[in-house]
Amino acid sequence: MEHLLSYIVFIPLVGAALVLLTPKAYEHLYRVLAISSTGLTLLLILFAVTSFNGALVPEISGEGNLQMMEKASWFSLKLGSLGALSVDYFLGVDGLNISMVLLAGIVLFIGAIACWNIKEKKKAYFSLYLLLCTSVLGCFVALDFFLFYLFFEFMLLPMYFLIGIWGGPRREYAAIKFFLYTLAGSILILIVMIGLYNSVYDPIKTAEMAGLSMAEYAISDIQSMVLEGQIDKTEVVKSFNMLHMADSANYIPGSLLDKSGLGTLFGQPIRWIAFLAILIGFAIKLPAFPFHTWLPDAHVEAPTPLSVVLAGILLKVGGYGLIRTAYAMFPDAAFHYAWLIGFIGMFSIIYGAMNALAQKDLKKLIAFSSVSHMGFVLLGLAAMTSEGVSGAIYQMFSHGLISSMLFLIAGVIYDRTHDRMIENYGGLAHQLPKYTVFVGIAFFASLGLPGFSGFIAELFVFLGAFKSASVIGAIPAWMAVVSTLGLVLAAGYYLWTFQKMFLGKFWVKEKKWVPALKDLTIHEYLMLVPLVILIIAFGVYPSLLLDLINSGVESFIDHLTASI
Amino acid sequence: MIDLLDIISPQSSAYLPWILALLILPIFSFATTGFMKGKAPYWSSAIIASNLLVAAYLATVFWNEPLTIRGNWFKLGENQFTYSFYLDKLALTMSLIVNFVALLVHIFSTEYMRTDANKPRYFAYLGLFTFSMMGIVLFNDLLFIFIFWELVGVSSYLLIGFWFQKKSASLAANKAFILNRIGDLGFITGLMILFTQFHSLDLDAVKSLMIMSEIEDGNWVVNFMQGGKEVISSMDGRWLSAGGIALFCGAVGKSAQFPLQVWLPDAMEGPTPVSALIHAATMVAAGVYMLARIFVLLDAQALEVVAIVGAVTAFMAAIAALSQFDIKKVLAYSTISQLGYMVLAMGVGAYSAGLFHLITHAFFKAGLFLSAGIIIHQLHHLEKGGKKFDPQDMRVMGGLRRKLPVTFFAFVICSLALAGLPGFSGFLSKDAILLDLAVWADIKGGGFYIPEVLAFMTVVLTAFYTFRMIYLVFFGEFRLPKILGDASLPNKLKEGNLWVTVPAVIFALLSFTFPFGFTLNADHSWVMEALKTPMYLVPESYAATSLLDVPEETFHGLHKTVNIVSILLALAGLFIAWLSYKPGAKLEKTFIERREPVGVLGQISFYHWYQNSLYQNIFLKAILAKSRALAWFDQYVLDEAVNLLAKLNVVIAHVTRWFDQVFVDGLVNLTAASVGKVGQLTRSIQSGNIQAQILVTFIFLLTLILLLVV
Repeated sequence: MEHLLSYIVFIPLVGAALVLLTPKAYEHLYRVLAISSTGLTLLLILFAVTSFNGALVPEISGEGNLQMMEKASWFSLKLGSLGALSVDYFLGVDGLNISMVLLAGIVLFIGAIACWNIKEKKKAYFSLYLLLCTSVLGCFVALDFFLFYLFFEFMLLPMYFLIGIWGGPRREYAAIKFFLYTLAGSILILIVMIGLYNSVYDPIKTAEMAGLSMAEYAISDIQSMVLEGQIDKTEVVKSFNMLHMADSANYIPGSLLDKSGLGTLFGQPIRWIAFLAILIGFAIKLPAFPFHTWLPDAHVEAPTPLSVVLAGILLKVGGYGLIRTAYAMFPDAAFHYAWLIGFIGMFSIIYGAMNALAQKDLKKLIAFSSVSHMGFVLLGLAAMTSEGVSGAIYQMFSHGLISSMLFLIAGVIYDRTHDRMIENYGGLAHQLPKYTVFVGIAFFASLGLPGFSGFIAELFVFLGAFKSASVIGAIPAWMAVVSTLGLVLAAGYYLWTFQKMFLGKFWVKEKKWVPALKDLTIHEYLMLVPLVILIIAFGVYPSLLLDLINSGVESFIDHLTASI
Repeated sequence: MIDLLDIISPQSSAYLPWILALLILPIFSFATTGFMKGKAPYWSSAIIASNLLVAAYLATVFWNEPLTIRGNWFKLGENQFTYSFYLDKLALTMSLIVNFVALLVHIFSTEYMRTDANKPRYFAYLGLFTFSMMGIVLFNDLLFIFIFWELVGVSSYLLIGFWFQKKSASLAANKAFILNRIGDLGFITGLMILFTQFHSLDLDAVKSLMIMSEIEDGNWVVNFMQGGKEVISSMDGRWLSAGGIALFCGAVGKSAQFPLQVWLPDAMEGPTPVSALIHAATMVAAGVYMLARIFVLLDAQALEVVAIVGAVTAFMAAIAALSQFDIKKVLAYSTISQLGYMVLAMGVGAYSAGLFHLITHAFFKAGLFLSAGIIIHQLHHLEKGGKKFDPQDMRVMGGLRRKLPVTFFAFVICSLALAGLPGFSGFLSKDAILLDLAVWADIKGGGFYIPEVLAFMTVVLTAFYTFRMIYLVFFGEFRLPKILGDASLPNKLKEGNLWVTVPAVIFALLSFTFPFGFTLNADHSWVMEALKTPMYLVPESYAATSLLDVPEETFHGLHKTVNIVSILLALAGLFIAWLSYKPGAKLEKTFIERREPVGVLGQISFYHWYQNSLYQNIFLKAILAKSRALAWFDQYVLDEAVNLLAKLNVVIAHVTRWFDQVFVDGLVNLTAASVGKVGQLTRSIQSGNIQAQILVTFIFLLTLILLLVV
């Protein structure tokens, strides 16, 4: 299918427009529109995933073997002696993002079902939700940095309003905090993006501009011509192409971020500073210690569907961004700072888990467990081994499913009693046996029990992180060993919570809650059962995901090791 | 050079469906039994019975020729992950034992759980357990063993907490799971080490590559091909020992060894048949089974650690068993102690003897637990309508041999096996361990005599606590009527029906020597013949001295001494128990009023060396305090810093606004005002004079331009 990715990205936007156009008298249709447009997107994504050829080895630092590519010149400006500016509408999938697109499809669809019971200001709510869907999906498939950044920033807006209007009691605080915090991160990314743009050129367009035919010259010829100054500076076309940015040969000689560039800042090469800036930018989104404090507030105040989307997919933009930009574009700096990143990953795992242990609010507990689980992503990336990076991607995918389920579960009890305090419940298993089964599954899945997807992910990260020392030497072996402590702590906070809330004699703080405590509804089964099936499927048959990402990760690792 | 991919290349067999059946049947039982309501016990028993038949069939086919099946699971980077089954004598024996004990426990539970409203759930959990346990037994891949290892932990969690309305039960379940998890950290670290070195966790691959490993300049090096590419793995040689110790940590958790053993006594909160199946016969033995599977990969240092941990555990738990009131607690500590023997055996290299003890122990301990279960069950019936009491407390028992003769028979036979008296199975296996231990200690010398001393002391202690239990439960007066003041109680107490007595008696019969060979010499038992000790595969400079290299005569020379000493020690323990707890003895008479032992030694025994309080009051408290401190830090330092930064921005914004208003704007206003003033002044002077105005403008302009240019 032509333009499949564009359909995937913009169908929710069309849905949003339809919601806006539908008169208020038909407001019961809004949720149907939301579910059907995200459902259609999911179907198209499934089609894209099945037609994705996992055996093709993508180039990572070029467009070779990029699949479902769509590229059109968006706008370009001649800037005189500064060369030319060109921004493309450039979409494509390879092993690094196909899994995230799939996850986004699943989570956004389930999130749309979770929106079923929204009662206030429906028109605004559903149109914003669908707008959010478009920007999230756009983020994962955009391969032009400018376009990526546009989608990336555009996620903030609907999220801000969705938390700020439909959230809990402290929604304004949480929304502003979320907005400003993430904005601060994206400014760092913006700065680096401008720096990159100033340093990277598009060899193909440059050839065009210089009047050279690509039939006669290979890309490497053009690159050496630029290097030797045979092509005039005014004819060098600068580029936001993220794949070009990953190829060190595409850096204009002597430019700010060129590897051989002499620029230093605070005694460090500017490339390394740029890497750190982009690292912080995405670490805020991920989130990793110490940039995580927006997360518990945002989660606690966000309505259930938004918590699901936030934990399920928005956090993954951070991890994906690190892979696609920070790591792919600055492998040398990534290697240099591997120890630091690995340490932050390890620290986040333990710090998040320790914090979760002390939480009294169920949603906060899940939020801190997210911090802990996202630490695995950093640890796996820092390892710079194929096991570690696969583990990081697997962890993002798996955490997307599991945390979605966890927040749905927290939503179930909150819907009934409007209270999330762990200590206010006891022995719920007597009153809500079916719900208890699902909570048990979600908790055990999240604490990394084999048979569920989280185990596979964490195992890969451990194997990769430990192997790193003897293969590439990025991080020491003890980091992997210390990180295993996270497994025990996770068992601790989940089992104690489970024991306090669900086991023992039935007891709730307020008598009036008792009649409201009914077991799961069909609508809730509809969301939970598919998640359980997926979590088990990806836990038992990892090839489902690995076949999609393996060659991409291999190529990514080759790219990293070649540039160190 | 060996190619890794050749070692782990797929191997198929027509028997794959049979092996899968061993896994699928129990998981099918788990999936369906919950919906069977009243028929659940029969349904799940039938499934397990068919599973036993499948296991028996496979055993007859593959007893003399082991079967390997292997297939691809997934590919991660360049590494092929496989699943593989290996059916050798060990796996076949274990699968027979697991299914056999499970079947008898199912039958026993049919009666034991008859009145429990949630029994479908109970039988479903048993299915989950059997499934996970079979996974550990059948798979020949460390990753799969780990996967099922954890699943077994979950089924144990579910069954310990089966009566979840009881807080103690749910807490015990948590404790078991978490302490096991701590051990599993070691297991997973072991997996990391082996995977990094060998790029595979398949045991065949690991073993083949371990043989090829060498120690060069203190580094553990191995060269092999992987899909045509040459791989040179090298890491510090200490990781070789560390890997073995790390994997052993898993066994420390699962098999309740020091220092993680504290979960097992608490696990007695589960229904008693579960204690028999999981916490005595099979699951806790999984650690020993795993040690047997990785036995050849352990180096001298790791084996020393294993041996010391085993000996210490055996001794500590035996001490704790001396003074308990709760009959299940005595049995639990006894289980820990016996598991200590098995682990000790593995550590000294007595592979066959350790596994032999695993098998004999599975039967006699299951028999003891089931017999204890009958007692508890029958006493529990007396509770109906009357006063509440604790039917597990030995203080309410006494003289039960008259009322429960069959149970008495089963219990005593199993006890004799536990105490290790000749003619009973425990004698053979324990003797084999003690003999190998004595040889090992002689080879090693020095401090390595300590495990031997501990092990022999444990023989006395075992006999003592076993017979103390027998005297307190079956001899003397029935104490319950006195406690409750109800003289009619003895007449109400009845022997259990056939559902419960038959399984107990079967286990009792299996506790004699004859099922294992008509001999008093362990070496002549078919089990020792079948499960032969393998050679260590680690590089020579790291390998321990194998007992296989010790001349036959050394064993012969020591055999008689060890035999006599162990029998005498067991008799001594029996005699002391008789002296202190025979009917009418001082301790027996006051037993009914006893609360907790006085004196330091008694306290240490009763509170199991204070290990629990140490963990709970120091470690756990410290961790929880630290977690609260971190949460405080997160909320009031880290987050507050963010808020402060935001506030600072607002303040700066206010300051800027004030500056803007007062100075910048003020300056503008001032300028405007002064211009106005000047205008007024000039207007009065130059009103009407256009030329003058042009002149002034021109001058101003000129000045401005001059200013700009210069």
